[in-house]
Amino acid sequence: MNMKSTQYSEKTLDHFRNPRNVGTLEGDDVAMGKVGNPVCGDLMEIYIQVEDDRIKDIAFQTFGCGSAVATSSMITELVKGMSLDEAMKVTRGDVAGALDGLPPIKMHCSNLAADALHAAIKNWREGIRPNDLSTEFPTYVGKGCAAPSEPIKGESEFQGNGVYNEEMDPSELADKRVLVFDTGVESAKLAVELEKHTGRVIFMTPSKEPAMDADLKKELKKSDVKILYESELKEIKGEGEVEKVVVYDLDEDNQYELFVDSVVILRPT
Amino acid sequence: MVLVMESGIKPGVYLDYQSSKPVDPRVIEVMTPYFNEIFGNPSSLHLEGDKATVVLENCREKIAQFIGADTKEIIFTSSATESNNLALIGYTMRKKGKGNHIIISEVDHISIHNIAKYLEKNGLEVTRVPVDQYGRVSLKKLEARINERTILASIGYASNEIGTVQPMAEIADLLKRKGVALHTDAVAAEGLLPIDVRDVPVDLMSLSSNDIYGPKGLGVLYVKKGTGIAPMILGGGQERGLRSSTENLPAIAGMAKAAEIMGDELPQETSRLATYRDRLIKGVLESIPRSHLNGHPSERLPNNAHFRFEAIEGESLLLSLKDMGISASTGSACSSKTLEPSHTLIACGLLHEEAHGSLEFTFGRFNKDSDVDRVLETLPDIVERLRRLSPLYEKE
Repeated sequence: MNMKSTQYSEKTLDHFRNPRNVGTLEGDDVAMGKVGNPVCGDLMEIYIQVEDDRIKDIAFQTFGCGSAVATSSMITELVKGMSLDEAMKVTRGDVAGALDGLPPIKMHCSNLAADALHAAIKNWREGIRPNDLSTEFPTYVGKGCAAPSEPIKGESEFQGNGVYNEEMDPSELADKRVLVFDTGVESAKLAVELEKHTGRVIFMTPSKEPAMDADLKKELKKSDVKILYESELKEIKGEGEVEKVVVYDLDEDNQYELFVDSVVILRPT
Repeated sequence: MVLVMESGIKPGVYLDYQSSKPVDPRVIEVMTPYFNEIFGNPSSLHLEGDKATVVLENCREKIAQFIGADTKEIIFTSSATESNNLALIGYTMRKKGKGNHIIISEVDHISIHNIAKYLEKNGLEVTRVPVDQYGRVSLKKLEARINERTILASIGYASNEIGTVQPMAEIADLLKRKGVALHTDAVAAEGLLPIDVRDVPVDLMSLSSNDIYGPKGLGVLYVKKGTGIAPMILGGGQERGLRSSTENLPAIAGMAKAAEIMGDELPQETSRLATYRDRLIKGVLESIPRSHLNGHPSERLPNNAHFRFEAIEGESLLLSLKDMGISASTGSACSSKTLEPSHTLIACGLLHEEAHGSLEFTFGRFNKDSDVDRVLETLPDIVERLRRLSPLYEKE
């Protein structure tokens, strides 16, 4: 049968409507596994609390479709109380089976839930705790996350046609989609300022946590500036003027195109 | 598998008119005799055939009037998708000697994108003109892409997803000056904007019967006098040889009635729908934090409200709304067959993760004011519940 993506079993729908064990866990006896990427539409975090090599408690948070939520919820029920060895053997087939099946196109969601659980167990065994995860990634703080020394492909070609290397009168960019590349604190300040003039500002940074003081970080997050972490600018393209950029996602190791009208790369003069 | 979820408490609220519309009961009534009373083949020379011919040509007249066209300019097809195929493939086949370059827009309907890919495989050159953040084609960018080999541009009248209306009159004017033919897929705008080929002089235009509350299985291609196209379906030579096969008379009679009703009621109907749309947009943006409107703030279809919500995913929204008896639509990849997010939202400059959180409501003839209330009562709680589940949403 050619199932639609939303034709779920009663059990899947039940877990979607009433997800079990939602949330996070804290403590020295807790490990966390994280898989997926919001770009693909799924992101899962599973927390396990371990006692005597058994999963004493478990919790999850998920961004994703109905089956992503249901599989996360199901797996927490399946493995609660299990030994870590037993839990490592739980497969995506077990999760899908426990939900009375999933539409074929959704099988990857059940894969994610099992992967997140296994990642949590591995992290536990290697002594990695949830707090370590946020600092484990290399940050560019203090390394002088200045402008990329090499000009970006297309950067000189579109000078005056959408590429800016120094601060401009923000009203010039009214109604434009502006991409500001992270070249330090000044660029972040400019992004916040520009957002007052145009509805669409993207702040792109190669870092996981861009270098700036707490106040500016707060201001940036509070604003409607869209922050694009762990990304590099590969190329600027267009027909006579800036029309799109090629973005390299460092975390996912893939490239994609993003439609913008202007690119700001502040370079020291 | 559960096919239909019933909320069990309140009647369903249908807010997905862009996907499918119910046939107006007045249309069904008119269609009935053509199934068994007046059933002749218009090509036959006997009495039954003559009766059918009269009906066919009267209906053609009514549909022509609806868009300000001449009777001879209306070609019946099986769907707007077929009309799009006939327009793009038929026109480029016929003009092969003149040039091999066509232009489409990044926000055109998926059928236009797939036809263009097919033409590319068969040796044609296709350029896709980008749009601004609201989904509008810029005349300057369009003009910059026209070269001496360009024979056709196909620009959708309005977006079936985000509801943005294109500056069609200006586009038609530009292409006329450049000597490039213009096709428009007008399905999304049909019955929502007054479409008249005398005001917006296009060369080819695709229309659908269902989009004006007529039956499915019928489309129209408007072919301006003097515009040559090659047929794709060959047979008995119906529709001036451009589209063979015995005419679907019940559906044609239905579409003619639907056009007549729409011609009379469009102004009142669209202003009513626009009040629903505006109330919904205002209500959602005010009551749900981190929510955004997709598409143009003013140049948009009167029935379209298209949102995105940060940190949640569209299919989860649809499922939750379905539980509450509300039918809507999303551009999220998780609900599509290809697992790719909407090309329209990406063309507007959204990131994949943002496109995933989109939700589209489209109003239509049988909606009531209270339907807006149902959404406004329901949606904020659903968004909040899903955000509580989401690791992406930063709790204040």
